[in-house]
Amino acid sequence: MKPIPLILSVLAALATGNALAAESDEGRQLAYTCTGCHGIPGYKNVYPHYHVPRIAGQTREYLVAALRAYQSGERAHPTMRAQGESLSEAEIEQIATFLANHGSARR
Amino acid sequence: MIRVLTTLAVLAVMVPAIGQAGDVERGREKSVVCQACHGPDGNGVGDPQYPVLAGQYADYLAHALRSYRTGERQNVIMQGFVATLSEQDIRDLSAFYAAQSGPLTDLRDLK
Repeated sequence: MKPIPLILSVLAALATGNALAAESDEGRQLAYTCTGCHGIPGYKNVYPHYHVPRIAGQTREYLVAALRAYQSGERAHPTMRAQGESLSEAEIEQIATFLANHGSARR
Repeated sequence: MIRVLTTLAVLAVMVPAIGQAGDVERGREKSVVCQACHGPDGNGVGDPQYPVLAGQYADYLAHALRSYRTGERQNVIMQGFVATLSEQDIRDLSAFYAAQSGPLTDLRDLK
């Protein structure tokens, strides 16, 4: 590899590393919105009547798929659809990463 | 007469509530087909595309299964499985997974 492309790829790798490091703070801020419903133990959806699911500790991949499905309208929950529509792809990834990393320790 | 009507009214309220309870052990028996993807206790098999079910709220799990059944939620694999489930099966499976221990929790203590 010639020197300039090498330097560029090293810079690109560094920039990616920084972006990943910044994700947790971003994810935490974004996930704060979720606590309005998902942060209250025992909180229930009004109709149909069921508990709002536990999402902290869920797998990252499943959370990304769920948020995308709300975003596209494939999953129809009105509140979650509105949330999904407001999120960029990067934000979905950040929220999912944060939530997946914040499960309970017991397994 | 009033007493009979009152008793009937009380029973009418109570019976559906009793019917809605799932049986954890029956759920465990029925969960065998779910294990390939969701693991023996709902904590998965290491493939993160499949959600953790252990420790999820039973009524949410039942809602999800019913949503697959009606087609409100689209998933080819799940649609195939729920087609074989009765209402009681759904309640038993949901009770079983809700009773298992896992990483799922409500999103508390977020600053």
